[in-house]
Amino acid sequence: MDTDTATLPLGLSGDAYRAHVRRWLAAAVPPGFLADRPEHRPPTLDQARAWEAAMHRAGLAGITWPAEYGGHGLTLREHLIANQEIGRLALPESVNSLGKELAGPIILAIGTEAQKHRYLRPLLEMREIWCQGFSEPEAGSDLAGLRTRAVRDGDVWRVSGQKVWTSASPYAQRCLLLARTGPLEDRHRGLALFAMRMDLPGVTVRGIRQIDGKEGFAEVFLDNVPIPHEDALGAPDEGWATAIRVLGIERATNRMYRAWRFENELAHLVRACRADAALRRLLEDGGYRRRLADTVVDIAVLKGLVEPAVATLLAGQPIGARGSLMKLHWSEAHQRFAALALEMLGQASPGAGAEVRAARARFNDLYMRARAETIYAGTSEIQLGIIADRILQLPRGE
Amino acid sequence: MTGAGEHADLAAFAATAAHAVRACAALAPPAQARLLAEAGLLGILAPEAAGGLGLDLHHAVPVIAAAAAGLLGFPLAETMLLAAALADHPAGPALAAGTMTATIAWAGMAARSGGRLHGPVGRAPAAAGCDAVLVRLAEGAALVRLDAPGVTLRDGLGIDVDAPEFDVVLDGAAPVAEIGAGACARLDADALVLRTAAIMGSAETCLAMAAEHTAARRQFGRRLVAFQALRHAMARQKLAVESLRGALARCLDLAPEDELEALPARQAAFAAAARLGPAAIESALQLHGGMGFTWDLPLHRHLRRVRSVEAQGDAPGIHAAIAAALLDTNA
Repeated sequence: MDTDTATLPLGLSGDAYRAHVRRWLAAAVPPGFLADRPEHRPPTLDQARAWEAAMHRAGLAGITWPAEYGGHGLTLREHLIANQEIGRLALPESVNSLGKELAGPIILAIGTEAQKHRYLRPLLEMREIWCQGFSEPEAGSDLAGLRTRAVRDGDVWRVSGQKVWTSASPYAQRCLLLARTGPLEDRHRGLALFAMRMDLPGVTVRGIRQIDGKEGFAEVFLDNVPIPHEDALGAPDEGWATAIRVLGIERATNRMYRAWRFENELAHLVRACRADAALRRLLEDGGYRRRLADTVVDIAVLKGLVEPAVATLLAGQPIGARGSLMKLHWSEAHQRFAALALEMLGQASPGAGAEVRAARARFNDLYMRARAETIYAGTSEIQLGIIADRILQLPRGE
Repeated sequence: MTGAGEHADLAAFAATAAHAVRACAALAPPAQARLLAEAGLLGILAPEAAGGLGLDLHHAVPVIAAAAAGLLGFPLAETMLLAAALADHPAGPALAAGTMTATIAWAGMAARSGGRLHGPVGRAPAAAGCDAVLVRLAEGAALVRLDAPGVTLRDGLGIDVDAPEFDVVLDGAAPVAEIGAGACARLDADALVLRTAAIMGSAETCLAMAAEHTAARRQFGRRLVAFQALRHAMARQKLAVESLRGALARCLDLAPEDELEALPARQAAFAAAARLGPAAIESALQLHGGMGFTWDLPLHRHLRRVRSVEAQGDAPGIHAAIAAALLDTNA
């Protein structure tokens, strides 16, 4: 199959869509992209862009978005199917997940017709990679402390301030930027969203070296940046409120492949253990077998939190804050698993072969990167607060 | 997936069960059986020809959860399972009608010699009030009457006080009915789902008690619910309850014939219940402070119950089976 030209055949849904996705992935994935192969080489940024653009053409991105904006006009059922199939393979993480999972849904909800046309197709075709400009030195979990100011000046907004932990900003073309149009005392009111171009004058990006040694996120300094008014998303004082509602749903539907990727990682760990005499002995150990069984159970629980949420959304019912349950469970269970994998593979024979070495490289990296999972997209403590406040609806109590 | 009509139907089942469980509190086991049978609860899983309702686990799950929430002492899950498994024998319809009562000895296996059964079996909940007990054999299982010669009950040293566990000592007892290995495997697979429902029902009730207690009690000039540590503890209990609800929903969505997926999903659901349920109840008990340690509050009874249900389902054995299946599929 020619991955450059393969497109989604019209009218596919359900099982036929799954068969198409499975067939396409089997033919199109460059084997070196797969982290569970000894020949694994992470894609370069250009390779990742080309790969994700091909995935979009084949119908694996923008699945539920309307066709007029470059989407495929399918349902969440196909979204779930695609995620299951993507998760089953050890594919690289998207380099534009913030565009596809954060900016895109917000633009669909609050963007003007012109904005939807301007932003969504370039994003899906990987011509524009997005970063997220929410957090600031004084506003991490609590965005009410946000200080970046946006002041209207004719056709532009003049924006000044500093953003931090801005994922993907070293290579992004656009930033979903949150800035304050009113006084600081307004806290959550008077926050506006912008689709800021990263090449505007006054934008300076300084990479931050992350826990895994890479520069995945950065500080972004904004000095009187002139953002055209046409790049302001939603009304100045209601953009953020709408965005928050969108994000509640997104927390449940984003990166839905995680349960199936988790399963791929667990299978990889077991296969790697089978490939080495010292590790094979661990598979006979009752303590390790119990922890492996616990991982199987954690994955089943995660699927049980994800799949009914899709059914609820398909039935047109609200899922409230249930995304917080999934995120909390997944992030903690995944960290437990990553620690187990690190501990088990660390006992490999010094002369272990390529398969074990590849697994060690994957899980060393996973263990470190998994520390972020209980921090980003709302820390575990924030998720517990959301569950207590919005799901249990516990009284505040004086 | 369940439609809106079926949803209302299931809610009605749960409400009927909750009402019947409350009414059972003052009754002895034979009267409890008649009352539960009249409410249609004993024969949910049994075919209509055997006096049952011919329904599936979708309907049994909310009933078992409600029974657990109300700390029903009657062996409801065992009766449901036996009324279905013994549908072709006179005992099945009698169980569904509440004219006979039976439980299951979940631990151990009896030996057969010359058509007679021997040996001790254990973990038979509420056996003292029952007419009969199902005991495991190397192949299948047999029903024996508890008043038959060669059958003795003794305290099983379990911790449940509402449905106390008994050992059954068999010394040449004659079986009155038998079920084959296939029916036994089906019964065990269904039991995994009902146990998960029972543990979820208890955990959910204990969380509700914790939420009520922390909203009412004041310390340090504030209501306890104002303290973040306590709110977060309850949020974790909620995650446990919803994890079990989701795991149950997955089991119920998979057709029982789907052998590749159905049994692993059920084993995983019960293993999740065995890990998360007791921990959630222990946490709810902790939030009650010293009051949680008293006999007066029912938290300890729920903890006793779920720990017993966990052991009746052989949670360590299920964990071992899950690990073995993982290693087999990635051989």
